[in-house]
Amino acid sequence: MIWAKEETLPREEIEAIQLTKLKESVHYIYERVAPYREKMDAAHVKPEDIQNLGDLKRLPYTYKADFKEHYPMGLFAVEPKELVRFHASSGTTGKPTVVGYTRNDLDMWLNNVARIACMGGATAEDVAQISFGYGTFTGALGLHGGLEKLGASVIPMSSGNTNKQIMFLQDMGVTLLVATPSYALHLGEEIRRRGLDPEKDLKVHIGLFGGEGMTEAMRTEMHRVWGEGFLCTQNYGMSELCGPGVAGECEELVGMHVNEDWFIPEIIDPETEEVLPPGERGELVITCLGKEALPLIRYRTGDLTRLMYEPCKCGRTTCRIENLSGRADDMLVIRGVNVFPGQIEEVLFKIEEIGPHYEIIVERQNRLDVMTILVELIDDRLLDSYAKLSELEKRIKSALKAQLGLATQIKLVAPNSLQRFEGKARRITDLRKDGL
Amino acid sequence: MVKQLSVFVENRTGSLLDVTAAIVEAHVNIRAVASFDTPDFGIMRLVVDKPEAAKEYLTSKGFVVRIQEVIGVELEDKKGNLNQMLSILAEQNINVNYIYSFVIRQGMAPVMVFDTDDYERAKEVLAAAGVKIV
Repeated sequence: MIWAKEETLPREEIEAIQLTKLKESVHYIYERVAPYREKMDAAHVKPEDIQNLGDLKRLPYTYKADFKEHYPMGLFAVEPKELVRFHASSGTTGKPTVVGYTRNDLDMWLNNVARIACMGGATAEDVAQISFGYGTFTGALGLHGGLEKLGASVIPMSSGNTNKQIMFLQDMGVTLLVATPSYALHLGEEIRRRGLDPEKDLKVHIGLFGGEGMTEAMRTEMHRVWGEGFLCTQNYGMSELCGPGVAGECEELVGMHVNEDWFIPEIIDPETEEVLPPGERGELVITCLGKEALPLIRYRTGDLTRLMYEPCKCGRTTCRIENLSGRADDMLVIRGVNVFPGQIEEVLFKIEEIGPHYEIIVERQNRLDVMTILVELIDDRLLDSYAKLSELEKRIKSALKAQLGLATQIKLVAPNSLQRFEGKARRITDLRKDGL
Repeated sequence: MVKQLSVFVENRTGSLLDVTAAIVEAHVNIRAVASFDTPDFGIMRLVVDKPEAAKEYLTSKGFVVRIQEVIGVELEDKKGNLNQMLSILAEQNINVNYIYSFVIRQGMAPVMVFDTDDYERAKEVLAAAGVKIV
């Protein structure tokens, strides 16, 4: 099923909508958001200069760093009283990236999520268990609201507590699961460990996955664990753009359809910042159309992909983004949470007993992400007793937990044992091959 | 009074060897050694003939090393002697953090090395009980 007629318009009509909304959005942001107006002035572009979609490339980019510089609400285009919701995700250093929504924004957002849920096979008949962590993360409340709009019955389960998750799946006759793909795999295996066969003993037959990318290897594994009949799709979004609802896979499973009447995607070379020809792989840049609280123009997502404009068998005419092939920056997604090495560095540098060098190893154990941080011990006073060393270990862990909202493993190593870098340090080893 | 070296070691193949190899290079002689099984990292304790020289050399090689004073007691080589020393300490409520013994005795009485948070009082009560402290 297709939720909105805008998903099936001819290309010319999609582009006509985009151009009308783009012109409005550029005027709107120029009038209301001083930091972006300054960027446009510096680039000698006026809102009137935007006459066709090709003029988009004359507009300056918006970066994650702009959120940091104008923390918390400097990029907002409306008065605080017009806001009805805040969300936040982790920022590059310390402070979170705060986003806001007017009532119209919420409506637009949740409608877009409803489209994506519909693409992924959801209907009003479904009983949906949301196993994303709630809180300021956009994923949980986004899918929650979108599925409600669709008419599905929503169980706001949140993450963790596997026994309770499984009990609800069974007792409530859940048909649809919302989770990160890695958590869905973990949950499926736990179900099998309890002697249950998800295909026979549960009604779950739809998975809407997000928060992290799902590779084809993970999808194959998902079918092995949950059964061949399990329709699992992934969807794409980020809190700066609204949250989930930017793009999603349809049942054809060939790329994620972008809600093009609300978002204009571009692909650029992340180094030169030049726009790349259609079909080429590069960094995804998104311009939001018609957003009120936080209208973003040419936002650098950091995600690497390519755009596909070929028509899709599902009947939608909107362009698709190929499954993400990585990040242009150092951001890690750990159990659905964005983590920047800078955040880790900030914590480690404040701890005197360890040196300034560190390494991050990310792996999957029992389907779940485990992040281990290697740090060099330099303070000999801790050698009086093993207790002092483990106290240090605990102190680092709890400081990181407070900063990242994630549990980490700490490994103390001897001084000078970690690699030194002359140029750009490569401190991250991601061992999650194919996400498994 | 015995000066003990504590060296940070990771729990991996060859990590103790790295320490002993450096000590050989420094022409230092090991008198006692102890290390206990710990999951990721541990502390190797050593009593050597030239602790300052050993620390200096090990530090130059990138090890984290600490010199600490611990108590060494010379026991008579007969049954129940260690038990007796420990009961003297326990009666006085002195906690022993860890204990180990010298490796080379060349026919002399065995020496036990132990660490306590109550260093001065441990020395007093042992001396008062006639235990020989080295």
